[in-house]
Amino acid sequence: MDTALRQALHDGEKLGLRYALQIPQVAASGWTGSRSGRRAGSSIDFQDFREYQPGDDLRFIDWGIYARSDRLTVKLFREEVTPHLDLILDGSRSMNLENTAKANAVAQLAGLLATAAANAQCTQAVWLSGEGFQRLPNDTLTPSAWDKLELASQRTPEQAFEILPPKFRRLGVRVLVSDLLWPGEPVQMLRRLRDGAAALFVIQLLARDDANPPEHGNLRVVDSETGDESEIYIDASIARQYTDNLAQLQQSWADACRQCGAHMTTLIAEDLEGSLSELEAIQLLAPA
Amino acid sequence: MIPFLTYPLALMALAAVPALAAIYLLRNRFRRKQVSSLVLWRFQVQSKAGGAKINRLQLPLLFFLELLALVLLVVAATGPQWKLPQSARPLIVVLDDSFSMRAVCDQVSAQARAHDYLEKLFRRQPPPSARLILAGREPRSLGATAKSWREVDELLAQWQCRAPAAAIDAAITLAAEVGKQQANILVLTDHRPADEKISSQRLECHAFGLPLDNFAIVNASRTAFGEQDRCLLEVANFSTGARATKLTVQTGSNSVQGSSILLGAHESQRLVFNIPAAAPSLRATLDADSLAEDNEVQLLPPIRKRVRVQVALANENLSALVNRTLDATGLRAAISENPELVIHETEAVAGSNAWSLAWSTVAATNAYTGPFIVDTSQPLAAGIALEGVIWAAAAATNSPGDVPVIFAGNTPLLSAREDALGRRHLTLNLNPEISTLQNTPNWPILFWNILSWRISEMPGLKESNARLGAEVNLKTTGEAVTVIQPDGGKRFFPKTGGDLALETPLPGIYSVVASATTNQFSVNVLAADKSDLSVCATGQWGKWSEDTEHRLVEASVVWIFGLLALALLTTHLYLVATAKGGS
Repeated sequence: MDTALRQALHDGEKLGLRYALQIPQVAASGWTGSRSGRRAGSSIDFQDFREYQPGDDLRFIDWGIYARSDRLTVKLFREEVTPHLDLILDGSRSMNLENTAKANAVAQLAGLLATAAANAQCTQAVWLSGEGFQRLPNDTLTPSAWDKLELASQRTPEQAFEILPPKFRRLGVRVLVSDLLWPGEPVQMLRRLRDGAAALFVIQLLARDDANPPEHGNLRVVDSETGDESEIYIDASIARQYTDNLAQLQQSWADACRQCGAHMTTLIAEDLEGSLSELEAIQLLAPA
Repeated sequence: MIPFLTYPLALMALAAVPALAAIYLLRNRFRRKQVSSLVLWRFQVQSKAGGAKINRLQLPLLFFLELLALVLLVVAATGPQWKLPQSARPLIVVLDDSFSMRAVCDQVSAQARAHDYLEKLFRRQPPPSARLILAGREPRSLGATAKSWREVDELLAQWQCRAPAAAIDAAITLAAEVGKQQANILVLTDHRPADEKISSQRLECHAFGLPLDNFAIVNASRTAFGEQDRCLLEVANFSTGARATKLTVQTGSNSVQGSSILLGAHESQRLVFNIPAAAPSLRATLDADSLAEDNEVQLLPPIRKRVRVQVALANENLSALVNRTLDATGLRAAISENPELVIHETEAVAGSNAWSLAWSTVAATNAYTGPFIVDTSQPLAAGIALEGVIWAAAAATNSPGDVPVIFAGNTPLLSAREDALGRRHLTLNLNPEISTLQNTPNWPILFWNILSWRISEMPGLKESNARLGAEVNLKTTGEAVTVIQPDGGKRFFPKTGGDLALETPLPGIYSVVASATTNQFSVNVLAADKSDLSVCATGQWGKWSEDTEHRLVEASVVWIFGLLALALLTTHLYLVATAKGGS
């Protein structure tokens, strides 16, 4: 793995120490863990009494109440669960755009989110799109131990979904980090991401060059993923059209997110640290 | 093909065309830029995914506007001319620049009358353009073409009428060439034309002179005459009858000497008298009359240059002979220190600027009686006639570099050589013991020639008195020279190559400042032809034909191209301001 990306992961890890992942209430269920769930469980924290029902664990019958009232009553304890974060990273080449800080920002953001998740006592899985979705080796460890974070795929996340979809844990918090720059209808993909998730966050990570059209002049633009080229003369009207196209794309994703109950925000790679408040605004992160 | 080297502005403008093209080519070159996705670039984008495709160069309208404007400016810079119909003809005025035009009658000169006539002509019938040609000793064009009387009047300030002659015919020829046989030529003079029947329909000759009585000094000179200066003054009466005038002569601060001169019509009288050589300027004047310029002369002492000669001959008899001969020439200086000429029998030469005359002394000699071959182009050979002379000389050939001046058969008798410093080294192959040369007039002539040649190579003026318009020669050693004219005007010659010919456009005393020395020479108006005002006349000869047809005249159309370029640039500015130029 690129040393620069590893360094960025490390930087993100340090940055994430200040934050904790905000776990929505619906996500407080799942595997047994150390965090209080929203249901009764097997922890030592007493929660309530209720009448015995067939199938209840006989160990939790309060025999004292039975002796006093001849009624079978079981003690309910608070469930302790481990919430889960599924971090979905766009592994296409566009996330590694030359002469931009995009790749580093991806790694830094992933490290930050994973560390914030750890602060919130969440487990995590990091999915990288490519020829299908694959988990990063060592993704359950601290970010600096991750491996094979390579942003070199020619396929968009949508295409990767078709080839090999990720196996998300139910009721986990899912965060998609991508530039979202591919054609197609975002609703389909968002629905699949949102399915079974406690919450879905979409972070559009753009380079400054993506957000702002280039200076005037003749330009041969090369698609970083496909290698396609186009020659165009940039003037004020073309620059305006570019800005309109970007706004239209972002609007379509925002509309799709609203339909699917997902939260979306856009970050600029070159100004990542300054825009982390956006992640707090969409209630993804909270100060630790 | 436009001769661009003739029009440097056009060349520069043309050079801007490829520069403009290069700017647009570079501007149109596509910079490669990787983008995240082409999804945002799908508007007017041409994909090149299908392989290489040659696209036509996309040049905006602004480029063509700029290119066209540049081309128009290139053409304008070449000064294009088109033939346009015109009814009036341009005018070329030939102005008599001789001093006779300054002769006054009733306080009005012929020059002033001609000036008034020209002004009235311009007021009455202004020509489309006018050129002025001064007819002095040689014709001279005055500046560029004038379009209005004001411009003509400014040019007329150069019409001073100080020349000793008027080359009217040459000026008319020049005018005809300049006017390409299309312009009207007007001659303003004070004399009748040489041929009063003028056949040309483009020539009009107007004379404004009046036959006036005039006394003039027509000849004046001052030459060295031993220890005195001999002066010559010639006074002429150009009147129709016998008249008297008073000649006043003053030398330096001495008292004025006047004498009355009575002369018949068209008679002249010469006065020859001696004055001390030490006397400074001589000033001779006549009584005032209609022409003041020829009534006064100033004569400066003649240039007396002497050669410092060192005779270093071992033979006493020969040395005495040579000394006697040198003294007889009158060109030898009294002193012989720092000699300018060394006569010797050895190869040694004293002094940095000394010439040498080497006397070849060889015992075995042959006596030649002729025929002698003399190079008469050499200043040494002037006046030499060797018929009947016996010249005894050693039978030898000339040394390398020596140019024989006199030789008998293949034996050089007298030869000359110039060294790298410009010094002359003469070799005289003569045994006087058995020769008769020293007993003939050729002997002093030869030494006079040698000294005279040496004097001619000395720095300084060649003469101190000159006629108006003549050139005065000045020999320099390469230093800067400043000439101060009688009117106070200065002419500076920064580096002179040795010989300088000074112009004398004005009468009076000129000062020549070279290094720390100042020399003077006098210029006098001595022109009998122009002093004779009795032949002056008033009248008109020849008449321009009336133009009824329109002629095609080449007229400058630079303004058309300039306006077109301006219009294009205005359009360019509008397109840039409204962003419609395609850039």
